Amino acid sequence: MGDRRITDHPILDFDEGEVIHFTFDGKPMEGREGDTIASALHANGVKVLGYHFKTKRPRGFYCAIGNCSACLMIVNGKSNVRTCTAPLLPGMVVETQSDRGVPDDV
Amino acid sequence: MLINTGVPTREQIELRLPSPERRARGPYAMVECFQEIPCNPCSTSCPFDAILPMGDINEIPAIDLDRCTGCGICAGVCPGLAIFIIDESKGDGTASVTIPYEFRPLPEKGEMVRAVNREGDVIGDAVVTRVLLSKKTKTPLVTVRVADEHVHEVRFFNLIDNKTVCDKTSSKIEEEPKTDDTACATDDDEIILCRCEGITLRTIRDLIREGYTTVDEIKRISRAGMGPCQARTCGPLIASEIARMTGQPVAEIQPSAHRAPVKPMPIEFFLGGDSE
Repeated sequence: MGDRRITDHPILDFDEGEVIHFTFDGKPMEGREGDTIASALHANGVKVLGYHFKTKRPRGFYCAIGNCSACLMIVNGKSNVRTCTAPLLPGMVVETQSDRGVPDDV
Repeated sequence: MLINTGVPTREQIELRLPSPERRARGPYAMVECFQEIPCNPCSTSCPFDAILPMGDINEIPAIDLDRCTGCGICAGVCPGLAIFIIDESKGDGTASVTIPYEFRPLPEKGEMVRAVNREGDVIGDAVVTRVLLSKKTKTPLVTVRVADEHVHEVRFFNLIDNKTVCDKTSSKIEEEPKTDDTACATDDDEIILCRCEGITLRTIRDLIREGYTTVDEIKRISRAGMGPCQARTCGPLIASEIARMTGQPVAEIQPSAHRAPVKPMPIEFFLGGDSE
């Protein structure tokens, strides 16, 4: 755990955006404006985003471009949210998903 | 081979080497770009027109070594970090290699580093003689001095971390104990091929052996490719495994049936229709 945000990068500059408060499985966390949900979680040291519905193996960042669905989580009660591409918004309630989720949400 | 390992062959390197006279005369750019890709910043950035204009952006860069001064601008702009500046003109048994180095921390001038070859093996020591920072390209250019005979081998360096012993034979790297959460497959067959449905490579291989030799058949019998990502990850992997096991070229393996939409989206978008 801890702040894993990259501040010194040889090529890219990162603007420090406004602090955004959200919760992950009930724990209060801070992200930055411009974060996706998964990038904010990673910056907070959260690498396991969910568990496979069948094998219960941990799932984390994989493609990070919204293709692979390894990062599906429950956001504000809605399941199957691709957190790697969904922007982080203030007050979001983010939860680990370990089942197929609710079909209506897809 | 380059295509499998990313390491060019000796023949490929030798074809690019300038004449002995040119190498003795002064620094020059060594363009280690071997595949046709749509990329041309080296040729457009060269102030001496030494990297020849490309008729087709896919062309492999060609260099006129009589015009090249070894200034290093191309090394800083190459997105593939494939250009190095070699200077063999000193004649004191040492030569220098300028390496684009996009890592932190940066070494300092005078620092000893471990010289690394194209395969990634440490082959000797090197001294950092210059660290050039450019506001424009941002890619730091680090020049290291190595023994003459190593100048065509050294293409990277490792910093010497004083806290650890760098000698491979005596250093002992303690691996993090693996918990269930981080357990990874030690057996190839246990690799998860379809991440959405949790299908292992073993299952896919067993099915191919049983005679299911199209991606569609494997999809229908195993569910691989029917999860939320819709075969975006496992489809090509299954196709290449079929190709490998049946000896067919992978280009001839039909992908599974794909249907719209390209990206999954809520059905309400379609039901809602358009206002026009």
